[in-house]
Amino acid sequence: MTSDLAIKTSELSMRYNPGLFAAKRIGLNGLNLEVPQGSIFGYLGQNGAGKTTTIKILMGLQFATGGEAWMLGENVRNSRARNNVGFMPENPYFYEYLTADEALEFYGKLSGMDRDTRRSRSRQLISDFGLSHASKVQLRNYSKGMRQRLGLAQAVLHQPPLVILDEPMSGLDPLGRRDVRNVILSLRDAGQTVFFSSHILSDVEEICDRVCVLDRGRKVAEGAISSLLTGRILEVHLAASGVGAPGLAEVNTLAMRAWHDGALYHVLVDTEEKAQQAKGLIEKSGGVLRVMQPHKESLEEYFVRVTDHSSGDGMGKPALKKDAATPALQSAEKTEA
Amino acid sequence: MVIGTIALNTFREAVRDKILYVLLVFGVLMILISRAIGWVSFGGETKIMTDIGLASIWIFSGMVSIFIGTGLIYKEIDKRTIYTVLSKPTERWHFLMGKYLGLLLTTLVNMLVLSAAFIGYLWFAGAPVTLALAQALFLTFIEMTVITAVAIFFSSASTPILSAIFTTVIFFSGQLTKWVVDLGSHPGVTKSAPWVSDLLYAGYLVSPNLHNFNIRRSAVLASQEMAQLAIPMNEMYACTIYGLAYAAAVLLAAQLVFARRNF
Repeated sequence: MTSDLAIKTSELSMRYNPGLFAAKRIGLNGLNLEVPQGSIFGYLGQNGAGKTTTIKILMGLQFATGGEAWMLGENVRNSRARNNVGFMPENPYFYEYLTADEALEFYGKLSGMDRDTRRSRSRQLISDFGLSHASKVQLRNYSKGMRQRLGLAQAVLHQPPLVILDEPMSGLDPLGRRDVRNVILSLRDAGQTVFFSSHILSDVEEICDRVCVLDRGRKVAEGAISSLLTGRILEVHLAASGVGAPGLAEVNTLAMRAWHDGALYHVLVDTEEKAQQAKGLIEKSGGVLRVMQPHKESLEEYFVRVTDHSSGDGMGKPALKKDAATPALQSAEKTEA
Repeated sequence: MVIGTIALNTFREAVRDKILYVLLVFGVLMILISRAIGWVSFGGETKIMTDIGLASIWIFSGMVSIFIGTGLIYKEIDKRTIYTVLSKPTERWHFLMGKYLGLLLTTLVNMLVLSAAFIGYLWFAGAPVTLALAQALFLTFIEMTVITAVAIFFSSASTPILSAIFTTVIFFSGQLTKWVVDLGSHPGVTKSAPWVSDLLYAGYLVSPNLHNFNIRRSAVLASQEMAQLAIPMNEMYACTIYGLAYAAAVLLAAQLVFARRNF
């Protein structure tokens, strides 16, 4: 594997065997993934899509039933692969009888840090993550946000070149999410690679360089956000005043939806051409166009488009046939090309 | 380094757990009331004190190993604290050994406190104190290395309740293995159902022969007679080697189970 990749997986698969009489469940189905170094990589998918399974395989918590994975050139089956990786699990749990100072001391020792570096980094991180006031308090008394911050602190304690975060923004309030976003951006600025899974797509869209979308254990899209979101216009919103009755009737024939809010007449059309036509009709009938706002596809809408058509019950039931390539993957690959 | 770090953290967990202190207090209380039992018993008062004191240390050390040990690995998995440990450059056997040694250290400290209270109380009561008592206490500790390994084995594969039941059964049935093999070799059994005899002998070979470590009765008698040794030293070395080898084998089995687990 080339060392310019932070993470690479090749046909990575995971099948769970729940017991003698239950059918095998597919967690991952032939995943091929490449995460370049120095990027922020968003890993997306519905519940049960296989995000946490992938992360657990990378971190040595689960063993893949097929395929291989590497982190920074080391096969993940080897514990050396975790030397230069920081990890925060979803809803991180810690030894509740420890204080933040003791917890970071413990994780620093496990990461092989020497005493002086360990202590100075712990002090710095406790201060940076706003835990100074509670550094001597047992973790059983920490709030969810404080645990999340400590989780991030232990993940970046030994300054690893690769940081893997499983749902780092899950359950946080807007300020907490902003803090996590800032930490991720500062890690990227320091040259570190951040690979994280999330359901909060607005955050992913805001900070990620690349994303991969997973559906029922299979990759359905991967690429730079700028190449996946091509600026496709979903609808155009027009708002006008003083439109005459004949004009209104003509504009309504173009509209997906039209309504009057008492002051302005609003129209939604689905293409730019129709928007130009509607604009012409409004002006022709003596109206004044106040708003003409195209609405481009967001990451959330893209995500729904590439996963929703194939999700069936929406509960992330695994696809069983490997050859059932989804149209979504084809479209994503075309876009990437 | 990693094993030591995990061991010390396990020890810290036990020290900050109330159950350790509850067991310690009860252990010390048992030692203290042994004199009262001596007053109302036939025979030597100091003999009863020594007898009850040694038995209390054995039973309360066993309880520490069982009650703390059987939940040790399961709790890590259930509370997901294992995620942040195994995701570090840590081998799984490091984790298992760290937990084992941490619990053993807890048991050792518990035994040292109880033994100090026991010896101090005997000395205060004017009872004879000889090296034979140290031999009995040492072999009790070796027995705990086996029980702790058994507790860790079950904890890495099962729930705390089941682990506690299995470990407790082994803790007590291990005292009876000699009786079981004697039963199997009885002419009545060997003639009418030789397969029962074979089965009992197989059970004897597989289960830990914990009665090997029980020299408490000999130690009490030896100390009463002011003899220095309860059993010859070479016998004690053999018991020690047996205990450590058995604990190592159980830990190896625990590692074979633990190394394949998905979390």
